[in-house]
Amino acid sequence: MGKDFNVVGTRLPMMDAAQKTKGSALFTDDLILPGMLYGRVLRSPLPHAKILNIDTSKAAKLSGVKGVVTGNDIPDRQYGIVPMAKDEYALAKGKVRYIGDDVAAVCAIDPEIAEEALDLIEVDYEELPAVFDPFEAKKEGAPVIHEGIKNNTSFAIKKEFGDVKKAFAESDAIFEDTFFSQAVNHAPLEPHAALAQFDPLNGELTVWSATQIPFFLRRNLSNTLQIPESKVRVIKPKVGGGFGQKIDMFAKDFCAAWFAMQLGKPVKFVYEREEVFISTRQRHPMYITVKTGLKKDGTILAQQFQSYADGGAYNSTAPTMMALSCFFLMIPYKVPNLFYEGYHVYTNKPVGGAMRGHGIPQARFAVERQLDLMSARLGLDPAEVRIKNSIHAGEPHSAGFVINTCGFSESVKKAADAIGWSEKRGKLPHGRGVGLAGASFPSGVSNMSHISSGAVVQVGRDGAVNVLSGAADIGQGAETVISQIVAEELGVPLEDIRITAADTGITPLDPGTFGSGVTVRAGNAARLAALSAKQKLFNFLADKLEANVADLVAKDRKIFVKGTPEKGMTFLEALKAYQYADLPMPIVGRGSWMAPADEPTTLFKQDGNFAPNYSFMTQAAEVEVDLITGRVKLVRMVTAHDCGRPINPMLVEGQLEGSVVGGMGQALYEDAIVQKGQMMNPSFLDYGFPTFLEMPEIEAIEVETDDPIGPYGAKEAGEGTQLSPAPAIVNAIYDAIGVDFMELPVTPEKILDALEAKNKKG
Amino acid sequence: MRLPKFEYFEPEDLKAAVAILQKEPAAKILAGGTDLLVNMKHRVECPPILVNIKRIADLDYIRQGDGDTRIGALTSLKRLHVESLIVENFPGLAQAASAVGSYHHQVMGTLAGNICQQNRCMYFNQSKWWRSTRPTCYKAGGEICHVVNKKEICYSAYCGDMAPALMVLNARIALEGPDGSKEMPIEDFFSGDGKIPLVKAPAEILKEIIIPKAAADGISSYIKFANRESIDFPIVGTALWASENEKRYRVAFTAVDRKPVRGKQAEDFLNGKELSAENVKAASDLAAKSAKPVKTSVYAPSHKRRMMGLLLQNAVNEAKRRASE
Amino acid sequence: MKEAIELNINGDTYELLVSPNYTLLEVLRDKLGLMGTKRGCDLGACGACTVLLDGEACLSCLMLAVDARGKQILTIEGLAEGGDLHPLQEAFVQKGALQCGFCTPGMILTAKAILDEEPHATEDEIKHKMAGNLCRCTGYKKIVEAVMSVTTSSGKEV
Repeated sequence: MGKDFNVVGTRLPMMDAAQKTKGSALFTDDLILPGMLYGRVLRSPLPHAKILNIDTSKAAKLSGVKGVVTGNDIPDRQYGIVPMAKDEYALAKGKVRYIGDDVAAVCAIDPEIAEEALDLIEVDYEELPAVFDPFEAKKEGAPVIHEGIKNNTSFAIKKEFGDVKKAFAESDAIFEDTFFSQAVNHAPLEPHAALAQFDPLNGELTVWSATQIPFFLRRNLSNTLQIPESKVRVIKPKVGGGFGQKIDMFAKDFCAAWFAMQLGKPVKFVYEREEVFISTRQRHPMYITVKTGLKKDGTILAQQFQSYADGGAYNSTAPTMMALSCFFLMIPYKVPNLFYEGYHVYTNKPVGGAMRGHGIPQARFAVERQLDLMSARLGLDPAEVRIKNSIHAGEPHSAGFVINTCGFSESVKKAADAIGWSEKRGKLPHGRGVGLAGASFPSGVSNMSHISSGAVVQVGRDGAVNVLSGAADIGQGAETVISQIVAEELGVPLEDIRITAADTGITPLDPGTFGSGVTVRAGNAARLAALSAKQKLFNFLADKLEANVADLVAKDRKIFVKGTPEKGMTFLEALKAYQYADLPMPIVGRGSWMAPADEPTTLFKQDGNFAPNYSFMTQAAEVEVDLITGRVKLVRMVTAHDCGRPINPMLVEGQLEGSVVGGMGQALYEDAIVQKGQMMNPSFLDYGFPTFLEMPEIEAIEVETDDPIGPYGAKEAGEGTQLSPAPAIVNAIYDAIGVDFMELPVTPEKILDALEAKNKKG
Repeated sequence: MRLPKFEYFEPEDLKAAVAILQKEPAAKILAGGTDLLVNMKHRVECPPILVNIKRIADLDYIRQGDGDTRIGALTSLKRLHVESLIVENFPGLAQAASAVGSYHHQVMGTLAGNICQQNRCMYFNQSKWWRSTRPTCYKAGGEICHVVNKKEICYSAYCGDMAPALMVLNARIALEGPDGSKEMPIEDFFSGDGKIPLVKAPAEILKEIIIPKAAADGISSYIKFANRESIDFPIVGTALWASENEKRYRVAFTAVDRKPVRGKQAEDFLNGKELSAENVKAASDLAAKSAKPVKTSVYAPSHKRRMMGLLLQNAVNEAKRRASE
Repeated sequence: MKEAIELNINGDTYELLVSPNYTLLEVLRDKLGLMGTKRGCDLGACGACTVLLDGEACLSCLMLAVDARGKQILTIEGLAEGGDLHPLQEAFVQKGALQCGFCTPGMILTAKAILDEEPHATEDEIKHKMAGNLCRCTGYKKIVEAVMSVTTSSGKEV
C-alpha cells in the first residue's frame, strides 16, 4: 500500500496538546462572563411520584437569588435526541420518574447561595408505585411510567431474514444461552456544564456547552425555548471526555438558557459529580438470549435473539441504540438466517443512553461468550470457529451491508498469534488463561437523515489555511485528524492549518460526535473542501505551468507537475500569482459529505447498507486469577485492529488503549449499583473505574486495509475497540479457571463463589 | 459541593486547642482534612467550629527514645512508609500507610487523622440530597439505622487501615485533655458504637502514638483488600504480627465491624503453634468469628467474612516472606 | 466571617478576603481565575484538582484556602517558563499522553512532585504515586511512557 503521504498516516501530537498541558485549554466551567450568575438543579428524591405542588417562594426570597424555575413555568415542549422518541421535559411536568429527575432550578450571584437556595424549595410529592426491573415493568398491571406507552415498552424492533426455523432444523447442534450486561457509567473527568448568554436587543441566545452534539443541541434548545434556530448559537468549548454521556440536551443547557433569557445575564450551570452519575446517562443494562444453530464443524446456520434493554426513566437514544444492537449482530460473522426481537423498557431508574459502542458491547458480550461456550461444547477451537464464520470484503451480506474492506479473519489470526494462542490456550497453569473476542463497528450511520457534514477551507495569501468544520472534538483529536486531511490535500504541513470547529454560528453543519462517524464524515467533508480550494488554484496554475490540471501535485508546500518536482512553484508563489491575477482571495473551498445511500431510508423498513464502512477487530486477553482473593488481573490485551488507514496512528492508539481499559473496567471493576431506583455508588470513590495500578499491558496490531469510502482509506477507531475487551476477558477467565460467567461484571466475590461451587462438585 | 460555614481557629499549642474544644463540644479537629472535609461537604458532619491543629509545633515526629517508638499525631502517612525506622522495624505499619487512599491522601493525611476517621456506611457517606430519599439515619442525627432497619442503633463500619496495624503492635495512644495527658492501649480507643466510634471526650486530642519496643521482636504485615489498588477504602484489611520464635501471634481486622477488631479466635488457636499451612488454614477458618459484618456497603457480609480468613493466609505468607529476607 | 489572607501562588503573592469554608480549589478558580486546576469530583477521589504545596502533591478540593497560607503553591499555570514547556509538558505532548486534557494538569503536577523527589523513579513507583490521578480517556499507557521518558533523561533537571 502506498505510504507516500506526508501528513496523513503520521504520528502527530494533537494541535491543542500543548495548550492542554499548560492548563490554558478552556472547558465550559473555565469560561467566565461579566455579571455571570450560577445555577443549580433540584432533583427528585423519589423514583416515581406526582408533583402536587412546588413552593419556590422561600428560595426566591433568599438574598442573592435571581431566579427560580419549575416545570410549571416552561413551555409544553418535549424533546429528545431522537425525534420519534422524544419524551422528556427539561424540568419535570406533573410527575417525576426516577431519583434524580430534574424538578426545579435556581440561579444566584454565587454558587454557595445557589446551593443554599435549593434547600429552600419545597416540593409536595404523592408517591406512586415504582418498578425497577424491565421484566416486571413490561407486565400487565405494572406502574405506567409514561402515559400511552403500553407495557412500558417504548421501542421494539423486529428483524428477520432467511428462514430461521428451517435452519435450526438443519443444524447439527442448537444452543440457547442468556447473558446480562450491567449498567456502566461513562464517568468522564469533566462534569456536564453549560454557560448561556442572551442579547435582548437582537434576541440571540449563545450557549457554550460541554456537548458532543452542538447542532442537535441547538435544535432542541430552539424547540423547547420556542425561539427560531437562527437565534440560537451553540459553541462547544474544550470537552473533558464524553463517551456518549454528553449527547442529549440536559437541564443544565435549558435552564442556563432560560435564566439568561429571563434575566439578560450570563448564567452557568455545572453538575456535581453525583449528578453526572445519577442524572445524565449510563450504558443500558441488557438481558440477551441467543439461540444459535450450528453445523458440527462450527458453521453458524441461524441465530435467534431476544433482547431486553433496561431503559431507565426516559428514552434518550433508545431507537438508535436498539437498532445498532440488533444490526451489529449481523457482522463480523456470517449469519444467513436471523431473527431478532429487541425491547426497550422503561423503569424508574437512571436513564440509559449512548455509551461507547451504543448497545453493541452488550450484544457482543452475548455473541462472543456464546461462541466460546459452543466451541467448548463441540470440541472446537474458538479462534478457528471465528475464522470459519468470518465475513469477507466484497461478499454479499444477508442484511444488505456493503463491506468494501474487511480485515476480520486476519485480525483473528494476528490477535491469536500475538497472545500466544496455540501455546497457551488450555495449557496454562490453573489460574492463568487466554481468551479472545471479535467485533465490528460502523463508521457513522448511512441510513438516517440529517447525517451529513460540511466544511469550508480558506487559503490566505500568506499560505495559512483556515478550516471551518462542525465536528465536535471531545478529546479524541477530531480537529487534528480533520486538519491532517486538509494538510495532506493541500500539500502543506499540519502547522500551517488553523481550525475553528463546533460553533453553530460560524461552522457548517455536522451531527456531532457519536456513532464513530467523525473521521469518515467530517473528514471527507473537509477533504472535499480542501479539494475544492485546491481545484481553484490548480485551474489557474494549469495555464501558468502549461499542464493539465490532472497532472498537478501539491506536496511539501510546493505545486508541480507530476514527475518533475524540481519544476513548479512554491505554495506561496502560487498564491501570490493567483492574487495578482485579480482572482478573489482568500481561496475558499466548500465541501459537504453524506454516506452513499441510494435513498434515505432506515433499516427498520428495508434492508440496505448501514454505514459507509465498518471497522473490524479481534481482541485477545491474558488473565491471571488470584485463587485466594478471586481478583482477576488483566495481564495483557492484544488488539488486532482494522480501521482502514489510520490518519494519525498515535491518536488511534490512544483510542484503542483507552477502550481496552474502559472495556476492562466494564468486565471486572465497574457497576452502577441501583437499589430500589437509587444509585448507591454515585462517586469516583465508590464507582471504581481503573487506576494506573489496574493497567494491563496493551498491544496494538494494525491490520491495514484501504477503504474506498473513508478519507485516505480511513475507518472508525473510536468505539469498536471497546466492544470486545469484556468478552475476551471473560473468555480468558474460562480458560483460567474453567468457569463460565454469563454476566458482567465478574467480581472477585463471584469468582470465589464459583470456585467454591466448583470444588463442592468435585 | 460547598463546605458549610464554620468558625475557624488555628491554636498555637495543644492547651489552647483543648480549651476551644472544651468550650464547644461540637467543634472538630482539622488535621489532613481528607476525611472530615468530605463529610462536611456531604453535610453529615457540620461542626460549628474547626480547630486546625497543623500549626501546633512538635506534633510531627518519629522518635525512638527509651526503646519505645513515639510518633507524633500529625506525622504524615507518607512519612510512615518512607522512614526507614518504620519500614525496617514495623513493615506492617509502613504497608498500611502506603495502602491508605492514594498518594495524595498519604501526603495530606496524618496518622492521628487516619486513626480517628469517621465510621462509614453507604447510607451515611452520601450527599444531603441523596440522603433525603429516606429519613435521616441515626448516625446523621435521625432515628433509624437503614442497614438493620432498627431505631437508635448504628452499625456503621470502622474502615481505617492504620488502626489494625497498630493494634497488632500493641500500640498505645496518648491523649491531651483538660485534665492533662493520659494513655491507653489503642484497642480501648474504639467504642464499638457506630455513632460515636471513639472513646474520648470532646475536648481530648490524640497527640501521640507509642509503639512498644517489644513490637520489633516480631514481623508485622498488613494486607488490604479493596476494589482497586488505590483510592479505595478496604473491603477488609488484615494485620498480623508474628513472632515465630516465641510462637506468639496477633491478628486484627478493619472494615468488618463498628471498630477494628482483634482476631481473638484465630490468635488463640495459633499461639504456641508453628505457622504450618495446616495451622494457618485452621486459624483462617476461625478468623471470621471475630466479627459480624453487616451490609454497610455494596459488598456482602458473607464475602467480608470469607475474606477475613483468606487475607490472614496472605498476611502470614507476607510475614514469612519478610522473615526470610 | 471573612479573613484577609495572603497566598503565594506560582511565585506571586495574592491578598484575598476569604471565608474559612472556601477550599483552595474554589479560591484558585472562582477568585483568581486560575482555571488550569480542575474540579472533577470535589471529594478528593480523582486528582484533577492536584496542586503542589511546598513541592508536595495535594488535593486542593480538600484544603481550606486559609490553611494554604505560608506555603509555596504551584499550579499548572506556574510550570512553563514563558513560552517554553516544562520537560514533562513537552513529553506529554510528544507521547500523546493526553486526549481530552481534563486530567492533564493534575497528572503533570503529580509527576513533577514525584520526579523532583526521585528523578530516577521506576515505572512501578510512578504508577503507585500517580494512581490517585484518574483518567478515563487514555488508558494510562502513554502517560506512563511520557513520565518515564523524563526520568530516563538522566542528568537533566526536572
